Amino acid sequence: MKSNAVIGQQEKVVVNRKKMKKQDIVPYLFIAPAVILFAIFMAYPIIASFILSFQTSQGGEMVFNGIANYQRLISDQIFLKALGNTFLFLAIQVPIMLSLAIILSTCLNSALVKLKGIFRVSFFLPAVTSLVAYSIIFSVMLMEEGVINQVITSLGADRIPWLSHPTWAKVALITAITWRWVGYNMVIYLAALQNIPEELYEAASMDGASKIRQFFSITVPQLKPVILFTAVLSTIGTLQLFDEPFTLTGGGPSDSTLTIGMYLYQTGFRYFDFGYASAVAYVIVVLIGIMTFIQFKVTGDK
Amino acid sequence: MRKLLSFLLVLSILVFAAACSGNNETSGGSGAEGETVKLTAWAWNVNVGALDAAAEKFKEENPNVELKVEDMGRLDVYDRLSTGLAAGGAGLPDIVLVEDDRIQGYVEAFPNGFLNLSEQGFDSHAESFPPFKNELASLNGDFYAMPFDAGPGGMFYRRDIFEKAGVDPEEIETWDQFLEAGKTIKEATGVAAMPLDMFSDDPTFRMMLNQLGVYYFDEVGNIDLTNPKAVQAMETLKAFADADLIRNVDGWNGIVSSTIDGSVATIPFGAWYFGTIIDQASDSAGDWGVFELPAFEEGGNRASNLGGSSWMIPQASDHAEVAYEFMEFFSTSDDVQLIAMEEYGLFPSLSTVYDSDAFTAEVEFFGGQQIWQVFADQMSDVPTAYYTNDYSIGLDEAIKAQADVFNGKDIKEALEESAKRLSDRTGRDVNTY
Repeated sequence: MKSNAVIGQQEKVVVNRKKMKKQDIVPYLFIAPAVILFAIFMAYPIIASFILSFQTSQGGEMVFNGIANYQRLISDQIFLKALGNTFLFLAIQVPIMLSLAIILSTCLNSALVKLKGIFRVSFFLPAVTSLVAYSIIFSVMLMEEGVINQVITSLGADRIPWLSHPTWAKVALITAITWRWVGYNMVIYLAALQNIPEELYEAASMDGASKIRQFFSITVPQLKPVILFTAVLSTIGTLQLFDEPFTLTGGGPSDSTLTIGMYLYQTGFRYFDFGYASAVAYVIVVLIGIMTFIQFKVTGDK
Repeated sequence: MRKLLSFLLVLSILVFAAACSGNNETSGGSGAEGETVKLTAWAWNVNVGALDAAAEKFKEENPNVELKVEDMGRLDVYDRLSTGLAAGGAGLPDIVLVEDDRIQGYVEAFPNGFLNLSEQGFDSHAESFPPFKNELASLNGDFYAMPFDAGPGGMFYRRDIFEKAGVDPEEIETWDQFLEAGKTIKEATGVAAMPLDMFSDDPTFRMMLNQLGVYYFDEVGNIDLTNPKAVQAMETLKAFADADLIRNVDGWNGIVSSTIDGSVATIPFGAWYFGTIIDQASDSAGDWGVFELPAFEEGGNRASNLGGSSWMIPQASDHAEVAYEFMEFFSTSDDVQLIAMEEYGLFPSLSTVYDSDAFTAEVEFFGGQQIWQVFADQMSDVPTAYYTNDYSIGLDEAIKAQADVFNGKDIKEALEESAKRLSDRTGRDVNTY
C-alpha cells in the first residue's frame, strides 16, 4: 500500500512537471506569430541580401565570388559620383530644411500670428502629397517651357535649364525636397515647442533678453533632442533618396543628380546585377549607421 | 527548450520558403491530339491585338489550341521574364515578346532559358527575313527568336510647314542639306527641325550610328563609341543643337505632343511611329510625309533601323512544340503580317509580304504618298547594330555623353570618357583609332 502511494505521488510529480513544461511553451506561442512574420519578412530578406552581396550571376545562376562586389565599389566611378551627390544633398539640403522648419515653427508658435491653423495646414500639406505625384508636377513646372521659366522670361531674364544643367538640376532637386519635407519637420518642432516651459521665456524677458536671443538661448537648446531626432531621420531619408531624382531628373544630366538609392535600383533592376546591388545596399546601411553615430557624438548627449 | 524552439522556427521557415519557390509544374499534360492546349503569351501594346488576330486564324486549322495573351507594360514583361528566368523558368509563359536590343543579352545571360529555334527547323525561314534581323535573333548561328516587326528609319515631316518655308523634302539628301533646310524652316516659320529628349534619350544618335554601320559596340563586342564615325554622328547632332534646331522635350509624351502641336518640322523615328501619328495627330491628316534619313555624304547609306521586336519561347514552356508551331505560323504567314501592319502599324520584317498590294498603297493620311515603299526599300540595306548583353549600360553611357556634349563638353572627349566608364562597368575593351 505504502509503496503504491509513493509511486502515485511520484507519478503526480511527473505529471506536474509535464504541465510545467506545457506552460513553458505558452508564452512562446503567444509571440510566435510576430516572430515568424518577422523572420519571414524581415530577417530572411536581410540575411539573404547579405549573402547575395557576396555573389554574382553566371549563366543565370548565382555563384559565390567573395568580396569582389565590394572591391568593385571602391573603384566604381559612378558609385563614387552617386555617393558624392548624396553627401552634397545631405550637407546642403538637410541644414536648410531643418533651419527653415525651426524658424517656421517658432513663428507659428508665437502669440502674434493669427490664423495659425490655416498656416499650419498649408505648410504641412506638401508632406501628405505622394512623392511621385509632386515630383512629376515639379518636373512639369521646371521644364524648359514650364511655368517657372515662363515667369522668368516674362521678367526679362534668360531661361534657366533647371533639369538639364548639372548644377541647376541639383538646385531643382534640393528645392523640391525642401518644399516636400519642411512642413513635416515643422510639425515635429511645433509639438516639441509646446513642452518648453513658458516661465523660461518670461524670466528671459524680465532679464531683458531680445526675442532673437531667446530663440538661440532657450528655444534651440531646449529643442536639441528633437533636432537630433529630425537630423537623424533626414539623414537616413537623404541617404535613401530615390523618388525625387528618379522622377524629376532620372539621375541626369550625366549622373549629376544620381543618388546611391537610385544607383542601387539601376544596378538591380535595370542591369539585373543583384549581387552588386546588394553590396550597394549594405554600404548604405553602414553609412547610415556611421552618420547616426557621428550625430549622436557631436550633439554630445549620453 | 530554447534550442528546440529556435530549431523548429528555422525549420518552419525553411518549409515555408521551399513551398514558395519551385513547384510550378502543375499545369501538366502534353499537347496530345484532341486535347485542348492553352498557350499563354506576354506582350504589350498593339502587339497584343496582332497576336490575338493571329490566334483566331491559327484556330481555323488547329481548333484545339487556345491562346491567352497577357497584356502588360513593356518593362513589366522584362521584369517578370528576368525574375522567372533567374528562378529556373518558374511562372514563365509559352511565348514572350522581346525587343531586338535585348535578345542577345537574355540568351547570353540565360543560355538554357530559351528554346533553340534552329533545332526546331527555323533556319529554313532565314532567307525570308533581312540579314540584320536574322543576326539580332540568333546567337552563334542558332535562332533563339522569331523576327517580327522592324523599325526602318524615316523622317516623318509636316508637308504644310515645308511648303510654307519653300523647302522641298525631295531635295534633302545629306544631313548638311537638312541642316540648311532646318535653318530656312526656322527662319520662315519659327518651327524647330526635330524634337529630342536631349538629356535622357538618344534615338537620333542611335539611328545615325546604325546608318554609318557602327554602334555602341562592334562585331566582337568591343566598345566602339570612340569610332570616328560615332564622333561624326555626334558632331552632326551638335550642329543642329547649336543652330537651335532641336526642340528639347520631356520623354515620349514630349515627342508626341510636339508631333501634335506642329512645333517641329520632322520627327526622325522608326516606321512604328506611323501608328502614333495617325492615332494622335488626326487633326493634321493629309499634311504628313516621310523621307529616308539624310546620308552623311552624297550617295551615302540612308537605310537605318530603330527598334523592332521578336518572339521568344522559354525553354520551361510545357507546350514548347505547339508554341513553336503557332509562332512559326505567326512569323511566316503573309496574312498575319499584313494584319499586323495595316491594323496595328507594326512594320513586318518578313520580306515576302513586301510584294503585296498594301506596300504600294497610297496612304491618305500622308498626302497620298506610298510610304510603305519608303520603308520596305531600306530593309535589305540596314546595317547590323551590335547590341551585346551590355546594351542597357551602353545606352546609359551614350546618353551621358550626349548630355555632356549638349552642355558644352568637347565631343571627342565626352565620347572617350563614356567609353572609358563603359569599359569599367562591363570589362570590355575600347577600340582605339
